[in-house]
Amino acid sequence: MSDPIQGEQTNKTRLSAEFECRKKRLEDAISLKKPDRVPVAPLAGIFYPTRIKGISNKDNMYNPTGTLQAWIEAAVQHNWDVALPPMLMFPVRVWEQLQITQMKWPGGGLSDDQPFQWVENEYAKQAEYDEMLSNPNSFAVKTIWPRIAGALTPISEIMQLPPLPLLYMSSAYSLPTLLGEITSQPNIRELLRTLLAIGDEYAVYQECLKNYANDAMKQGFPIVFGPMTIAAFDWVSDIFRGMRGSMLDMYRVPDKLKALVDMFTPYTIAAPMLLDLPFENKRVFIPMHRGAAGFMSDSQFAEFYWPSFKALILGLVEAGYTPVPLFEGDYTPRLKYLAELPAGKVAGHFDHIDRKKAKEMIGDTMCFWGNVPSTILCTGTPGQVIDDVKELIDIFGDNGGLIIDCNLGIPDEAKPENVQALTDAVMQYGVY
Amino acid sequence: MDLNLLKEAVVEMQEEKALSLTEEYLAGGAEPLSLFKAYQAALAEIGKRYEQEIYFIPELIMAGEMMNTASNLIKPLLADNAGMTENKRGKVLIATVEGDIHDIGKNIATMMMDLNGFEVKDIGVDVPGDRIIAEAEAFGADIIGLSGLLSLVFDPMKKLVEALKAQGLRNKYKVIIGGGQMDDKACAYIGADAFTTDAIAGVNICKAWLD
Repeated sequence: MSDPIQGEQTNKTRLSAEFECRKKRLEDAISLKKPDRVPVAPLAGIFYPTRIKGISNKDNMYNPTGTLQAWIEAAVQHNWDVALPPMLMFPVRVWEQLQITQMKWPGGGLSDDQPFQWVENEYAKQAEYDEMLSNPNSFAVKTIWPRIAGALTPISEIMQLPPLPLLYMSSAYSLPTLLGEITSQPNIRELLRTLLAIGDEYAVYQECLKNYANDAMKQGFPIVFGPMTIAAFDWVSDIFRGMRGSMLDMYRVPDKLKALVDMFTPYTIAAPMLLDLPFENKRVFIPMHRGAAGFMSDSQFAEFYWPSFKALILGLVEAGYTPVPLFEGDYTPRLKYLAELPAGKVAGHFDHIDRKKAKEMIGDTMCFWGNVPSTILCTGTPGQVIDDVKELIDIFGDNGGLIIDCNLGIPDEAKPENVQALTDAVMQYGVY
Repeated sequence: MDLNLLKEAVVEMQEEKALSLTEEYLAGGAEPLSLFKAYQAALAEIGKRYEQEIYFIPELIMAGEMMNTASNLIKPLLADNAGMTENKRGKVLIATVEGDIHDIGKNIATMMMDLNGFEVKDIGVDVPGDRIIAEAEAFGADIIGLSGLLSLVFDPMKKLVEALKAQGLRNKYKVIIGGGQMDDKACAYIGADAFTTDAIAGVNICKAWLD
């Protein structure tokens, strides 16, 4: 009769060994050392694991415990080398509490089966650059917070004061009046209750992420990445000025645009280090948007986008982190810039790119991750997936610097047999 | 008055100079329609530079801004917008399909279609297929433009094309799909007539269809 305790211990040992094996496989590929085989590592796949179980996108977001369990099941089912990243499990209940306007989500402005989506807008106006640059904290709290979070509107009302009123009001004589008058207002008291509720909800959310990370590790899966950050130009363009606004800024107020980008740059580096993640992971995800081909010329890229992005990469590497930039769009024209980055230290993930040019220009600089078209995963066949992965292995496999994934992670609508084909292709053709 | 100077200012993205010359020439009694045609000539040149990959989306947006400003100055001076709405190339009905609320690409495509002489009706984002077809019928569209960034749009677009077939309308419309993830595989799956990831390329496809 088998000993269940001994059996459990054996299983724990096996899973622990699998964790170390997968971790090494991924890290070797990133540092351009040849692992035992090509890793299969989806960078994302938020709704795929729950859609294949018939769970709506709304239930995915509002029941993270169940969703994160489905994420582990998908990793086991498809024998991935990573578990999906909990940082992409957004705190939707906190979005609700804040009355966030920058996002719509299933159950929050969208139907149950739509994914969450960014609401493009000019959240900061061109005329507000001077204030953003000279008084960023006051501008953020007074002006931006109410625009992006309806629940924070009362703050803008109490902040309609001349510059540095808080310093003037900071004495035993004046604080009781200042704070007493503020906190006696009904809308402020409501806000304080909302903030307490946010704290409670966020603690539940953090616990959920921590449990997931522990479960994933126990099941033998390293998390694909830990913290996130955003390139400084994207902070300005995505988050504040919008695409149209920032592009007009390049012509109308280029010095102010660059000044804001420069001001943000050190914080793009510091942000992942300051984040109190409930698990240890030094791979930093950087979704990138506005620097791709078509969005700006080469000279505009060199002037507005690249300097702060390169500083971000070098800053993270110097601090011992591994940047994982997702080069969304087509980065073929930017390959000469990518070649400047430190070799073996950056885990480049690609959306659209000329594969052969990428091999030629950055094959010795960074690993090649992603790029399997989402159209094949959603509308194609397993045979087409295998052919595409085989092509990637033929081009990039020689020095070990290849990681398999779709162009933007696993598409929500991917057919399970096609997702499985990613792994099958690696097992058939990707063993070194 | 030198209309070539005005055209060059627009082409070279010299917004303030273009506005200043426009105001100066109008104040000096210039024929408003001749200024409008100078802007149109500039936009044609800008479009060429975009195709040559000298100009990119920022320049298309700047061009749209300058054209908009000029139109606002010139239109009030023209009786019934005479000459500004001359023979349109054709009608395009455009929408971001159901499930997707992204509109950046659609808005650029709409602007470039309009600037290139198409009559465009943009019915917004997250639009169900049956409404797109109904609007295309009511508008008398020649072309249906379907936009979407997310992978979820492949099936709604496919269903729309199937609905056109089921209603005997497939041959009445050209269907073009646009968005960052569109490719030949998506086009074949959906059953569209063409795909594009680029506003100007999309305009050129539509021009070729209607010329």
